[in-house]
Amino acid sequence: MRTNILKRALLAASAAAALYLALVVYEVRANETAHAAAAESFFGAKNTQGHTNNWAVLVCASRYWFNYRHMANALGMYRTVKRLGIPDSNIILMLADDAACNPRNKFPGTVFSNAGRHLDLYGDNIEVDYRGFEVTVPNFIRLLTGRVEPNVPRSKRLLTDDRSNIFVYMTGHGGNEFLKFQDNEEISAFDIADAFEQMWQKKRYNEIFFMIDTCQANTMYSKFYSPNILATGSSELGESSYSHENDNEVGVAIIDSYTHYVLEYLETVNKTSRTTMSDFFNHYDPVPIKSHPGVRADLFPRPVHETLVTDFFGGVAQVELIDDDSEPARGTPISISIPINTNTNTNVPIQNEEPRSARAEVRDSSPASARRVQSNVKVKSAGVGVGGVGSSVGSGNARDGLSGEMRTWIGTFSVLVLGAWVARPRGGNKKAVR
Amino acid sequence: MKASSSPTASSLGLKVVLPGLLLFRLALLATPLPRFFEHDHQLSSPLTSFFRLQEGIFLYKNGIDPYAGDVSRVSPLLLAIFSTVLQLPLPIISVLWTLSDVLGAWALVSIWRARSQTVGTKTEGLVAAAYLLNPYTLLPSLARSTSSLDNTQHILCLLFAALGKSSPALFTLAFLTHSSLTSVLLVPPVIMLLLSGPTSSLAAPRPAVISIKKALYLASEYFVYVALLAGISTFVAGSWGWVEKTWGAIFLLPDLTPNPGLWWYFFTEMFDHFRPFFLMAFSIHLLIYVAPICIKFQYAHDPLYAAFLLQGIIATCKSYPTLSDPGLFTSMLTIFPEIVPHLRHPLPTFMLHLHSALLLLLFHDLWLVQGTGNANFFYASTLVFGLANGAAVVDAIWAGLRISFGERGKGWAIAQL
Repeated sequence: MRTNILKRALLAASAAAALYLALVVYEVRANETAHAAAAESFFGAKNTQGHTNNWAVLVCASRYWFNYRHMANALGMYRTVKRLGIPDSNIILMLADDAACNPRNKFPGTVFSNAGRHLDLYGDNIEVDYRGFEVTVPNFIRLLTGRVEPNVPRSKRLLTDDRSNIFVYMTGHGGNEFLKFQDNEEISAFDIADAFEQMWQKKRYNEIFFMIDTCQANTMYSKFYSPNILATGSSELGESSYSHENDNEVGVAIIDSYTHYVLEYLETVNKTSRTTMSDFFNHYDPVPIKSHPGVRADLFPRPVHETLVTDFFGGVAQVELIDDDSEPARGTPISISIPINTNTNTNVPIQNEEPRSARAEVRDSSPASARRVQSNVKVKSAGVGVGGVGSSVGSGNARDGLSGEMRTWIGTFSVLVLGAWVARPRGGNKKAVR
Repeated sequence: MKASSSPTASSLGLKVVLPGLLLFRLALLATPLPRFFEHDHQLSSPLTSFFRLQEGIFLYKNGIDPYAGDVSRVSPLLLAIFSTVLQLPLPIISVLWTLSDVLGAWALVSIWRARSQTVGTKTEGLVAAAYLLNPYTLLPSLARSTSSLDNTQHILCLLFAALGKSSPALFTLAFLTHSSLTSVLLVPPVIMLLLSGPTSSLAAPRPAVISIKKALYLASEYFVYVALLAGISTFVAGSWGWVEKTWGAIFLLPDLTPNPGLWWYFFTEMFDHFRPFFLMAFSIHLLIYVAPICIKFQYAHDPLYAAFLLQGIIATCKSYPTLSDPGLFTSMLTIFPEIVPHLRHPLPTFMLHLHSALLLLLFHDLWLVQGTGNANFFYASTLVFGLANGAAVVDAIWAGLRISFGERGKGWAIAQL
């Protein structure tokens, strides 16, 4: 009798073990393919090409009133990237001096970048993260590499991850492989290259677009050696970059020519443009710019004609639409690339006349499109790793394996079956035990 | 059932007592008391809290691994059962707890019947009432702590073992091990109980004849059940993370929520450097009681008594106890009425229990609700509670062994050398 029970117990145990193993293997394989498929569908979408958020680091490295144009450069870039959708939380603006509130400014609280003073770049809704004497070489390198002091506030940190596209814009006085900061120190091309390499090793960026407007600017990107960097500069070695125009009332040069033409081109770009970086580089015209801008794309993995301008200048994010009821979405999500602009209405206020008519249509399209999308579905902007906690019990989105509910039912059923088998009436076996 | 039909005997007979107490408990459920006790630390520990069970079920239903965080420490089996079969509204769940308690009381009565080979005596009503009215078991059941369900499983395991049904006993013990790992310490007495029967030879000890082979066979059957249930748990949970969070919690003490036990305070103040050593020491401390008690009480041929004593020790030294653990111990005293005359200090023990029970409530409130006391107050009351439990266990050991010496003749004294 005893051996009978033993044999039966062993048989049951081995059958259960075999069944369990088979289920586990099936589960694990299904999970792997499900996870891989889910990750692929999220990240592999053509139109975002691997980045999920955009950052911008805009640096004006020179101080004093006569360098007004450098601050106007940086502020012009700031306005453009904000217009194209990068929110203030993702922009680090470093202005080495305060032109707007400078005692020599005839129009206090304003910074203009064109001769008729048509557009105030300063306005009342800008966020300068590093100002005045905080704009130093160590601070800049610490910002890039992330090795900031513990007491540095979040707004002054570059909180990028390995899916961030970063637009780094620098302007000021420079020379052969250096850029002058604050008139008393300089950063070299090697320093920036090493900082970018640290960022690469710490997975702090997906792709970087480096733009620099100084004299002999192209030398500044000649020393980069990290992957996924696209760089452009305003003038070759031995060439100076020139300012574009003066304003007679303000009294100084108010914009540099390279930046002026870049900004003028970017005014034709809006959030949904499919303009590529090759179009952007092709518009460079050395004659009006008065210097020869250069491009360095050898470290860049994608072909430039397939890279969108909004990949770096805009705040494009991937959006996943789910139904209105509260069940998590099952099956593959519908992914629509809709740029999310969090501050549509808080751009710099526009003066009465606008020399650029294209801007009007740009402003209108985005809020309407965003509102249309949000009208009758809940828009869930998908961040990396939402709900993806822990082990193979992931989100129910694209699971081919057994769902949790099935598993609890099978588990409960197994326990009950086991209990019933254990409790079955056995004639005579009771006595055999004692 | 003849004896119970006579009116005098049935005044406390089971047929009256059990339904009456059931109704009383159901009436208690209708009061606002359960809500009052829901989150009490004495009644539910991080491993047994109903609130955390609900949280685990919610996380599981929404596709998040409940064992990725530290909230839900419930066994995946309970998770599965409570999210499928027992998907009931809350009042019915409370009734379920009461029914489980009544089942436990009935099982305790059945153990008594098997042990004393009598049916329908007055003691049955006393046994049932001692379990159902004992505040140590009543309050956790009102708070829907899963330790009440653990108690029921414990008593059912002992019942099956007393009746000689090995597989149900071992399966219930295996299931109990999954919700409360400390119950693995009960495997030796249960196996001994299966092999020798529930009748008592406390008064006339003789060496036990227990076949080692049979014992090993039963032990292996138990471990097979545990492994099967572990496999089902892993299947339900989707990974092995539950082992660290449920069973591992008992050894690693990650959650230092105050409870009536002795562990938590130690480990709030301990340097991390010493933590592993003390965790090991506390766990081994619990382990060392099994062999001596089983060996000693095999001669008394009363493994049921050994199980009873082990429960008392577990209640005192467990890592995450609640009030239901000493509650089971004190209620089980009623099925050993023969030792009661031999208890040396029942009154001080009772007073200690009364004292500590009141102090536990008082100092817990003073510390956590009013904020005028601190953790030391509450810990002092848990120390007194531990003292009360320890005094009860020591007294029970004494009485269990003393009973074999028989009545003390005039002029003779019983001394311990």
